[in-house]
Amino acid sequence: MTASADRRPLAGIRVFEISIAVAAPCCGKAMAHHGAEVFKVEAHSYPDVARAFGSAWARDPELADVFCDTGPYVPEMSAGKRSVGLELKQPEALEAARRLLATCDVFLTNFAAPGIAELGLDYESVKQVCPDIIYAGMTGFGVDPDKPYYPFRAFGPNQAPLVGWDALTGFPHEEPAGIPSIAPPDYMGGLHTMLAIVTALHERDRTGEGRFLDISQLETTVSFLGPYLVGQDLGVPEPFRNGNRVSWAAPAGIYRCAGDDRWIAVEVPDDEAWEALAGLAEWFDVPAHDAVDQAALSTYPHATLADRIANHDAIDAELSAWTSRRSSQQAAAELQALGIAAYEVLNHTGVLADPQVHDRRPYSIAPSPRLGRDLFVRNPVRMSETPPYVTRAGPNMGGDTVDVLTEIGYAHDDVDRMVADGTAFVDARPEVVLERPFDRWYESVGIAEFYDAEGNVTGGAQ
Amino acid sequence: MSPAQQGHGPWSGVRVLDLTGLSGAYGTRVWAALGADVICVEPPGGNPIRNMPPLAPGHEGPEASLWWAYYAASKRSVVLDSTDLSDIDALVQLIASADVVLDDAMPAAQEGYSWLADVGEAGLGVSGIVERYPHLTWVSITPFGMTGPRRHWRSSNLVAWASCGLASTVGFPHGPPLAPAGEIGVLMHGASLHAVIGSMMSVRARNLAAAEGEPALGQTIDLSLQEVGLWLSPETGVPLYLDDQVPRPRAGNRRPVTSPMGMYPASDGYVAIIAIQPAHWNAVAQWVHELTGNEGILDEIFIDIVVRREALEAVDAWVEELTTRFTKQELFVEGQRRRIPITPVNTVGDLRHDPHLEAVGWWRPEEHPVLGTYTVPGSPFSTDGDWWAWQRAPMLGEHTDEVLSELT
Repeated sequence: MTASADRRPLAGIRVFEISIAVAAPCCGKAMAHHGAEVFKVEAHSYPDVARAFGSAWARDPELADVFCDTGPYVPEMSAGKRSVGLELKQPEALEAARRLLATCDVFLTNFAAPGIAELGLDYESVKQVCPDIIYAGMTGFGVDPDKPYYPFRAFGPNQAPLVGWDALTGFPHEEPAGIPSIAPPDYMGGLHTMLAIVTALHERDRTGEGRFLDISQLETTVSFLGPYLVGQDLGVPEPFRNGNRVSWAAPAGIYRCAGDDRWIAVEVPDDEAWEALAGLAEWFDVPAHDAVDQAALSTYPHATLADRIANHDAIDAELSAWTSRRSSQQAAAELQALGIAAYEVLNHTGVLADPQVHDRRPYSIAPSPRLGRDLFVRNPVRMSETPPYVTRAGPNMGGDTVDVLTEIGYAHDDVDRMVADGTAFVDARPEVVLERPFDRWYESVGIAEFYDAEGNVTGGAQ
Repeated sequence: MSPAQQGHGPWSGVRVLDLTGLSGAYGTRVWAALGADVICVEPPGGNPIRNMPPLAPGHEGPEASLWWAYYAASKRSVVLDSTDLSDIDALVQLIASADVVLDDAMPAAQEGYSWLADVGEAGLGVSGIVERYPHLTWVSITPFGMTGPRRHWRSSNLVAWASCGLASTVGFPHGPPLAPAGEIGVLMHGASLHAVIGSMMSVRARNLAAAEGEPALGQTIDLSLQEVGLWLSPETGVPLYLDDQVPRPRAGNRRPVTSPMGMYPASDGYVAIIAIQPAHWNAVAQWVHELTGNEGILDEIFIDIVVRREALEAVDAWVEELTTRFTKQELFVEGQRRRIPITPVNTVGDLRHDPHLEAVGWWRPEEHPVLGTYTVPGSPFSTDGDWWAWQRAPMLGEHTDEVLSELT
């Protein structure tokens, strides 16, 4: 597909990304899926953790030089991006970065403000080479050195506790469980940044002027607590973690099903759904739960939401007794047939077997220079006329250095010299093409759409 | 008057009809404050968000919900009755006048809107609507998408976390899976951001095409809550599991990878510490040593994360001797000074009084004719331009006459 035929909404937008982990990379990846040309500028002297992780199956010392291309975060965060290897602490590399920047529309980083300034890529410096740049700086605590937390380090897994999400995760009688193994605050920071960038592009269409975007993750993620923060001045009690319950629906919870570690999530928002649930024939036949001193449904008030919230423990005991005698899939199907929101709590293998996932194929498989082909999530914003896609999985680290530098005017000889003296670098041994252990399984697993290098959907088995 | 009516903000001149609840509200809140004319079309009883606790103490009725007060900021409210023919006609005119519609109705409803039949169009689905109004972007935010065998299944924030695999990894090993951040509704916020980003891109592309003399595209956007969850869940399943075949079980609030890693008790709550790198461990050990005189903790053998994993209970106990002596904020400030990745496990009350948020002037007073004066969070990000214009949430039907008179 030629560039002019590419009607994706960000086609023609060039993004200079210097980033680490998730927050900025997931913004750049969403832009790439919607058509932007994203240059991930990387260095061996301060590698992205996605490069350092690699893959467990690739720990063979003979693969040490290509290990950085094997991690599943590489396609997940950087599919569709081009990787440019520049050691920016070297003056000549910085000059090359400036020449690339002069051709770009957007600068995207989540390096800490002092670090990015040290590299010579603070807003004022970038603006000098590219006056209409849209500069998106993602920080933990903003860019004002006079503010209290400015020198503090924001670190992915420490973000959720800081912004109040961890304290609200768990049961009231236990320590907070928190969410230490996942990083939703980073993804939410990335989405706010993309919203800001698209807004700045829209503004620039009219004014021709660039913009400095100061995205401090503290503010973006604390914003999600809005109603409760507003309540603090009005005398509303502080919210406390309450398991899976919510203030506006009952029952709401995750209930044990038959089998080992099998669960179902159920939420009953209104009287109509409650009447459907209470009408289940077996409900009244449930034997008393050993562990809970509970009354049968018929003996406590449940007609209104307030009644159900007041008797939530008793309802939970009865509902658990019902779910525990069914598989999670069966319970979900029975409840959904009654119009009740319910789903099996899928684990890693459950997602792979999910009928909806099989039908809609929310993952992609696209050509990969290091792995032949590779798998990663698609963008969920399915636009009917200009659907998101990328034509290539994760780039090799430095794999696009030569192409990109020659495109912006460097002679091949100059690039060779920069690579020889360590100013720039290219990917290690491009002829080494590995295969993920489960590559052969991709056709049969049926969760992914296969794309070729032109962006066409193919049937797989490329 | 909304900010858009005043011609303020980068999105002024763009009209958005918000027919959603929680799955659209946060994103359209941000968009409205950036100048879009966001019109909430509500039934006579009001948007269901208006009933959601917490309510302002001493208040009831359609203005009492703090969810509404927060999420409907800078928007306009129009009440239309779907059983009234002239209201249906007004809705069709509103759609014709809009750039974007966000809709969270179930797929079966969106595929055959009968109110269009009432004004002479036989049961148009959303694709038919954008064909008729090609300047329009129609975003369908549904539990499982507009296609597939489970498109008619219902969902919620909690159920969506279950359906994407992420909830299975949150919680203690002995207990059930958990929704991250409970009723805050993080996944719904994420969906609303995706919906608004997609709409913004679509509107911008339409404008650029129009400037080139090309015809408008008329897009629908099919956004599934399950897929919103999958997009932010690589940690918990595909593709990481496909690659390493290592299950991600629930591990509670400490990760048995090494110590200290996870939550530790402070004198007034908890802090979160992650010390994997040698420099971080050394700083922790030095601090413990200074306070407690513990010499053993300085032994070089503990620099190895594997040794600390094998001596997990002992190392955790040493670290707790430090953490329990201070408040979480003291540990945060002093720990960060020592370059240790440590943060307080903040509560809503802590954040309302956080010294940094106070110092950056984040909070903003708001006046409401029913609820009085209160303090609300500031903008979620800032720029060097004059982008933001915040207004209080509209009262039920406050702008019905105003908006309908603009149509004629």
